[in-house]
Amino acid sequence: MGIISLEKQDHLFWLGRYCERVYTTIRTFLLGYDRMLDDENSGYKAICQMLDIPDIYKDEEDFIKTYVYSSKDVNSIYSNLRRAYDNAIVLRDEISSISLSYIQMALDDMEEYSNKPFSLLQLQLIIDLLLAFWGSVDVYVLSDNSRDLIKCGRSLERLDLYIRLGYPKERLAREFHMFETRMGRISPLQYNFEAYNTFSTAMRNKAVLKQQLDTLNKIFVRR
Amino acid sequence: MPQCDGFVPPKGIYSHISGIDLVQAKDKTWYILEDNLRIPSGASYPLIARKLCRLASPETFSNNHVVANKTYPQMLKETMDNVNTGGLNVILTPGRYNAAFFEHSYLAEMTGSVLAMNNDLFVDNNNLFYKDNNGSAKRVGALYRRISDEFLDPMNFLPESLIGVPNLLTAYRSGNVAIINAPGNGVADDKGIYYFVPTMIKYYLDEEPILKNAPTYLMFDEKQRKQSLARMDELVFKDVSEAGGYGVVFGRELSQDKKTELAELIEEQPRRFVAQEIIDFIDLPILEDGKEVLRKADLRAFVLAGATTKVWPCGLTRFSRNPTSFIVNSSQGGGFKDTWVLSR
Repeated sequence: MGIISLEKQDHLFWLGRYCERVYTTIRTFLLGYDRMLDDENSGYKAICQMLDIPDIYKDEEDFIKTYVYSSKDVNSIYSNLRRAYDNAIVLRDEISSISLSYIQMALDDMEEYSNKPFSLLQLQLIIDLLLAFWGSVDVYVLSDNSRDLIKCGRSLERLDLYIRLGYPKERLAREFHMFETRMGRISPLQYNFEAYNTFSTAMRNKAVLKQQLDTLNKIFVRR
Repeated sequence: MPQCDGFVPPKGIYSHISGIDLVQAKDKTWYILEDNLRIPSGASYPLIARKLCRLASPETFSNNHVVANKTYPQMLKETMDNVNTGGLNVILTPGRYNAAFFEHSYLAEMTGSVLAMNNDLFVDNNNLFYKDNNGSAKRVGALYRRISDEFLDPMNFLPESLIGVPNLLTAYRSGNVAIINAPGNGVADDKGIYYFVPTMIKYYLDEEPILKNAPTYLMFDEKQRKQSLARMDELVFKDVSEAGGYGVVFGRELSQDKKTELAELIEEQPRRFVAQEIIDFIDLPILEDGKEVLRKADLRAFVLAGATTKVWPCGLTRFSRNPTSFIVNSSQGGGFKDTWVLSR
């Protein structure tokens, strides 16, 4: 415990990223779905645009079925949850069986819901399980380094998504502050300090942030 | 295994974890069916099954005096600590697609060991190390490997192995790391050696064996071979080089042609086979599609050799899903359930 390999470091980081991707994309989907109820012009294409994903869907019904539950759509919420699970399953000894079980339950639920009529409550239950997972990480992940790495992944994913989704400057600044705090706790040997520095400088100018997404995503690329 | 010849492992312990397969005949006599001394698996399954059952039905356990089985991780840790040569306790797994990966990761979690794949480990100056994410290396003192001997070290065993650690055996032979269980143990749990175990107990311990072996006949003994081939319908033939329920053939289930084929093979390669009397062991109730049915079942008892040798007060009960089969191995579709040892 407390000693992790480079392989596990990668898995911890990507576990954090994919969990956050699922969480934020569900939230964004719910927001877009809610808008669709009142606004005829705000169809599923607007949600695709909002999420920055290609429109490969036939119609609204196909979008809901495919984007939420399909294993064949690489951008689907299910596919991202599957990737979170693929990282979590090899980390049982680091994150604990209890934390792993929340990801497993979320995946099992998604698979079960995929055969049932769609309801927004299904996604709320997935959100609940993800929040339980994050709570469990705080309680059961004993190694500070492992916990910080998962949370670095979460913060980096949030920044990436928030920049793509055009979140306000204050929100980005808040997220970046959380990211920096996490980064300060792990050894500079564990990430690309140069990329981090470049992105950190770019944070001062929101207008150029979209062009810096590549830099952001290089911070944790293994050198 | 010549690579292990003449080497005594740390503290002289070869079989740290032994999985002894037992069956109970219908006359209540217990028989040892097989000794598993290489990498016996399955302890984690009754462990997790018990944990879930206690959550789902606590009254079952408050109304019955079942001995707690949660001691296994502590027993395993003590077993590893006992032979640790100074360093980390590591569980070596071939990876998540191995059928027993759950067990590898769960036991790592429960014992506080590091779960590693071969790429996380390396040998330097006859010591085994674990590479951490800061670029430093931590020495490994005990390695609970869940990889067969032949894949363990490509420099000393199969060169094509992609899941082993190069020169691991060199570090082991230098006495710098304990490997659990010791490589080369297969010589002791070979089905051809099983025949001699009662004699070994008498010779080395000067004691009568408490548990019986299933009556076994050696096919390389001409007299026993002839007698066995004359009554093929009454016996089960086992290929000593196989495991996991493979290579087990009941004479009564073979056509005449197949019987002749097997008899010829046995005549050609007698060292490869043993024959055993068929023990009509008990059926236990299991649930199938929500209904209770009876199926053949055996018991794998786990014996851990640390500073002292202890039997885990639980075990893996394995059952056949096929109503006419005696084969309980999970690799052949068998199931498992928890085993209760009652304290009264």
